[in-house]
Amino acid sequence: MKKILLIIQREYLVRVRKKSFIITTLLFPLLYVGLIFGTAYMSEKGTTRLKIAVVDSSGKFTQTRIDKENAMDNSSTLVLLNENVDSLNKHFEDKGFDGYVVIPSNTVIENRPDQIVIKSNRTLGLVSGVQTKLNNIWNEIKYEELGIDMEKRQLLNDSKLSVQAENMQDKGANADIAAVIGYVSGFLIYFILIIYGSQIMMGVMEEKTGRIAEIMVSSVKPFQMMMGKIIGIALVALTQFFLWIAFIFIIYNATKSGSVAGNSNVSQLVGGVQTVFTSVNVPLVVGMFAFYFLGGFFFYASLYAAIGSAVNEDMREAQSLSFPVTMIVIFAIFILMVAMKDPTGPLAVWGSIIPFTSPIVMMARIPYGVPGTVPYWQLGLSIVLLIATFILTAWFAGKIYRTGILMYGKKPTWKEMIKWALRK
Amino acid sequence: MALLEVQNLKKYFATQKAVDDVSLKIEKGQIFGLLGPNGAGKTTLIRMITGIFYPDSGSIIFDGKSFDPTKDASKIGYMPEERGLYKKMKIGEQTLYLAQLKGLTKREAVTKINQWFDKFEMSTWWNKKVEDLSKGMQQKLQFVTTVLHNPKLIILDEPFSGLDPVNTNLIKDEIFELAKNGATVIFSTHRMEQVEEICDHIVLVNKGQKVLDGTIKQVKQDFKENLFRISFSQPVSDELPNADLFSIKKQEDNLLIIQRNENRSNNEILQYLISQGLGIESFNEILPSLNDIFIRQVEGTPLARRFQNLN
Repeated sequence: MKKILLIIQREYLVRVRKKSFIITTLLFPLLYVGLIFGTAYMSEKGTTRLKIAVVDSSGKFTQTRIDKENAMDNSSTLVLLNENVDSLNKHFEDKGFDGYVVIPSNTVIENRPDQIVIKSNRTLGLVSGVQTKLNNIWNEIKYEELGIDMEKRQLLNDSKLSVQAENMQDKGANADIAAVIGYVSGFLIYFILIIYGSQIMMGVMEEKTGRIAEIMVSSVKPFQMMMGKIIGIALVALTQFFLWIAFIFIIYNATKSGSVAGNSNVSQLVGGVQTVFTSVNVPLVVGMFAFYFLGGFFFYASLYAAIGSAVNEDMREAQSLSFPVTMIVIFAIFILMVAMKDPTGPLAVWGSIIPFTSPIVMMARIPYGVPGTVPYWQLGLSIVLLIATFILTAWFAGKIYRTGILMYGKKPTWKEMIKWALRK
Repeated sequence: MALLEVQNLKKYFATQKAVDDVSLKIEKGQIFGLLGPNGAGKTTLIRMITGIFYPDSGSIIFDGKSFDPTKDASKIGYMPEERGLYKKMKIGEQTLYLAQLKGLTKREAVTKINQWFDKFEMSTWWNKKVEDLSKGMQQKLQFVTTVLHNPKLIILDEPFSGLDPVNTNLIKDEIFELAKNGATVIFSTHRMEQVEEICDHIVLVNKGQKVLDGTIKQVKQDFKENLFRISFSQPVSDELPNADLFSIKKQEDNLLIIQRNENRSNNEILQYLISQGLGIESFNEILPSLNDIFIRQVEGTPLARRFQNLN
């Protein structure tokens, strides 16, 4: 027991003191936040602002109305032109327009044109912005022609029905918030599995190719060696994880007190996270997250450790053996996406019970509520199966590890590794 | 009293009888040579003695009790042929770590490390990384990590490979010193001149089985061919009648190498030579070198062991 603690300590300290650990811990949240805001920024700046000429034969799309719409939304610009359609057809591009649209002269409520066509010489992509503007103007015209005053308009606009799903078993669950929690925790587990799974594999390979395995094995049992490494690296993952959470709170507090205009997005985001934590069964979600995080970690870590012990210094060998394992983790993320939309569908249910995918998929379902969305039997079965599989995998991996770590030469196949595991 | 006694040890792998019914006994304080060609089963045997492999059958008695790898690991120091250390780890920390895994407390380990580092002039290495060291320096460090915890049994597999003569002597002296202070050393190598120099007792294994066991003196006696080198004060005439006392193996000026015939004594030969009027300057027995014995014993063994199917 003392030896396993020593191993855990070494594995932990060696990694936490590395520059790369400090850098990834600092950079990952920055990159992640940067990515979110970057894409939002790019999608806003990157799209062309359409400039569309409007030829109004009806006389109802007046300059005032168009100006009002342009002022409200600058993602596209409408310009009222009083020109001959034939000449415009030839010269609209010379005048700097992306396209033009003709409002038919007989446009009245009773005779609504089926479709308004924006004529252009190229593919304009989404024209929903232009459509909204024209519709807003059309609405104004309709209200006026029907004699509906401002007060009535207000009434009309306010009278929408809001529809939301409510689970009668579990009234606290809010679908939007649950989806966010499920997404965040599922992805966190996914990242940790992918990043640290390969770290474990590389660590075992280092011991094997550095020929230190035999020296270690003459002092400690191979199983202690493997578990020490897995637990040590699990602690590194947890450390990183808690640092990330700490950063979120620091950023949150900084933006709250600083209240810089540009940071309002960030504080909104973080504020959103806080509302999340107040509206969900926090102890259950946190507890289950801890369980599935550790369960999934230990399960996949022992698989990666077994692979690392079986291969030689060749990274390609390691990649080809670990590819199927990584594929399963990625597959789990796809099930997570489905489970977020349909947390009680068969794919979500079975994905959250089968141990290969359950650590990621179950976290997408639990925030929706237990036992409302996830009945007790499903949760229980999933937990029992994950524990059982973890014990089985650790035993299985331990056997492969014991043989593999001292075996040099050609790369073993999965079949041979299974043979090692089944040998007494 | 024997420190280690191995009885009928067997370990079969899927395609090989790696160790096939080997028994041996190693006395306390002995420097014991474990010899054998490549693939003879030495490493497998050592791995069973160090608790890395479990034997298929047979028993290991260590220090008077049945060998228990978890308890006895701290009493054994093993330097495998395939050696290595964590390349990116600092030397001091690494040595401390390995010593603690062998059961030393941190304080004991630090004192011991300082002693050894001083002795080997390695004190400035503490904060260096293993990858900064030359191969020979790594070797010295590896030796220190092997013996740091004062093991009762030290197993060294090719300890001098990659060392220059100065460092070889340094390590050799340490091995003698450790044996003098009561440690038992198992020394595995292919370098027979080192075995003759260092070991008291040897065992030769081939194809998983023990083919030779005894002190170096005894083994040489067992394998001697009654060869003698005689030098004379004057050149020997070509037509020396060899009678039925001996046969001449080599003749060169005033030097003669003969093989004594069976049931004849040295004195008879000497009397005969004197009666021939030859002045004898020296008369020595030629004992076979361990190298010759080794080659003779393993001759005919294919260079690589064939894979056989044991099922």
